[in-house]
Amino acid sequence: MNTPSQRRIAVAGAGLLGRLLAWRLLRDGHAVTLYDAGALDTPPAAAWAAAGMVAPLAETVVSERCVYDMGRVALTRWPEWLAELEATELWHRRGSLVVAHPQDENELTQFRRDLDDALGAPPGYRELDAAGVRALEPGLTGFRHGLFLADEAHLDNRELLNRLLEAIHALGGDCHGHTPVETHPGEVTTPVGRRAFDLVIDCRGHGARPRHPTLRGVRGETLHVHTDEVHLSRPVRLMHPRYQLYVVPKPGGRFVIGATSIESEDRSPISLQSSLELASALYTLSPAFAEARILEQGVNLRPAFRDNLPHVSREDGLIGANGLFRHGYLLAPAVVDHVLAEIRDKGERPFAAVLSEAAPQESLA
Amino acid sequence: MNTRNDALVLYGEAFTSRFLLGTALYPSPRVMQEAIAAAGCDMLTLGLRRQNPAGGDGDAFWQILRESGCRLLPNTAGCRSAREAITLAEMSRELFDTPWIKLEVIGDDYNLQPDPFGLLEAARELIDQGFKVLPYCTDDLVLCQRLHEAGCQALMPWGAPIGTGRGLMNRYALRTLRERLDVPLIIDAGLGAPSQAAEAMEMGFDGVLLNTAVARARRPAQMAGAFARAIEAGREAHRAGLMEQRQTASPSTPTLGQPFWHSKP
Repeated sequence: MNTPSQRRIAVAGAGLLGRLLAWRLLRDGHAVTLYDAGALDTPPAAAWAAAGMVAPLAETVVSERCVYDMGRVALTRWPEWLAELEATELWHRRGSLVVAHPQDENELTQFRRDLDDALGAPPGYRELDAAGVRALEPGLTGFRHGLFLADEAHLDNRELLNRLLEAIHALGGDCHGHTPVETHPGEVTTPVGRRAFDLVIDCRGHGARPRHPTLRGVRGETLHVHTDEVHLSRPVRLMHPRYQLYVVPKPGGRFVIGATSIESEDRSPISLQSSLELASALYTLSPAFAEARILEQGVNLRPAFRDNLPHVSREDGLIGANGLFRHGYLLAPAVVDHVLAEIRDKGERPFAAVLSEAAPQESLA
Repeated sequence: MNTRNDALVLYGEAFTSRFLLGTALYPSPRVMQEAIAAAGCDMLTLGLRRQNPAGGDGDAFWQILRESGCRLLPNTAGCRSAREAITLAEMSRELFDTPWIKLEVIGDDYNLQPDPFGLLEAARELIDQGFKVLPYCTDDLVLCQRLHEAGCQALMPWGAPIGTGRGLMNRYALRTLRERLDVPLIIDAGLGAPSQAAEAMEMGFDGVLLNTAVARARRPAQMAGAFARAIEAGREAHRAGLMEQRQTASPSTPTLGQPFWHSKP
């Protein structure tokens, strides 16, 4: 039995991908150094701002079939990984609920048709009447119809990022916050100089834009609120002609409401318009949210290539994994599996047809 | 029929395509690029309001639009007063180095219906400033006349409220506009099916602007191609001269040889 020879690996970017890869590589016996330009305890990463949904069905409606196929991996990989982290309580496989107000019910029909068209039979949803919606979420009383997507889940994502960092420390990972780096084959440049590695993995998200001419940031805004008056067991998506927003319950009476999607690399605080949209979506779900307290507003840039799909680039001594767009927690497991197979350099690389392909126009731009 | 001489002329400039496409709501920029190619359009509209345009933060996305080679037509979508729209138009002129503006002043938040009063006010000022204004308006004759008098050399009346896909809701009003106004009229908003776009073109409208119907189709590029052919077919039909409808069927082949038992009483 061969044991993988220990390699010195640098991981640039301590967002979700960076933490997962650092952790898995440490477990494989490699010496890992993790860098992030921001703080490690509250990382300025899309993964920290995200709501932590694992929604292969609903996300496929707004993207491509391969998002569903890769997302299915997440539904098995997350419970395995969380068991290893002794953090199974962070995983909630309770499905998700899609609703629309009576005047917008065509949006629900359109969503159902798009889902049928994308995934075919058998449908991955169950149609609900008013009683069915209330049976799942007693707090939601204003809806005559809904769809229940049983094969979806959500994660307590911030706690997960903390646990991953703890595990990385426990396994002897060398972590550097507030350390912006540039990545090169077999080398990173830090503010204090150059350092050589056997392999560099660049997963800096939008921070890697200088290396990727076609990578762009897509602004997403969220609100975090607290209330003890409303209880939700699962993510709820509200279909509306112009915005499709979701609410994800978090531990301790917290809720994350997201997210806008604006083609801009603006990182300034949330706009009044967006906060009105997010807050009124929440209020119309249940008026009991009226007295919820706004704990924070989140703004971040989702890293996206032109097809809004992830891509993994490979050259000698440097791997780049990027472009998870709005699907971080959904697609990270498939991307991590792929990168680890690439590093082991044997066996099949999962989803190579998508992930190994160069991002569209990346070489031309 | 020579379609090459059938250019759409707006503010003295000729455009080969009568299909204008919006750039919001696509599943990805790649899908949008495919739709633009399938549409064969010359002009793209783009919204700026929420992108912090003053900071240039939308540039990564605008770059994709510039690569299309199409004329970019910035819009003032999301503005609720004449003042907001004027400020955004001035900013877009700086950013895109263009006097062209698709002017939107929204009067109702729910159905995004244009505010005719604010629209006219903003159109007057922008035309004074030298802008080439394409106002998104309702199908009201007097409003359209006023906008024309204010100096708008093209108008963009709605077919139905934005994003509804309901088609030409008020054919009477639209026909009146076409008969009374000698200015390019582009149907903007509300179309959902290629047949509706063909009908607008058959009625003598000069062009069609689409966004949701293409972007939200399951296969946007295929839908863009379908609309492109419908717009062309409707235009050709208009130029060819449609026959008038008749009260009773009139057989196109002689009935002399038809056996009498096939005749209805």
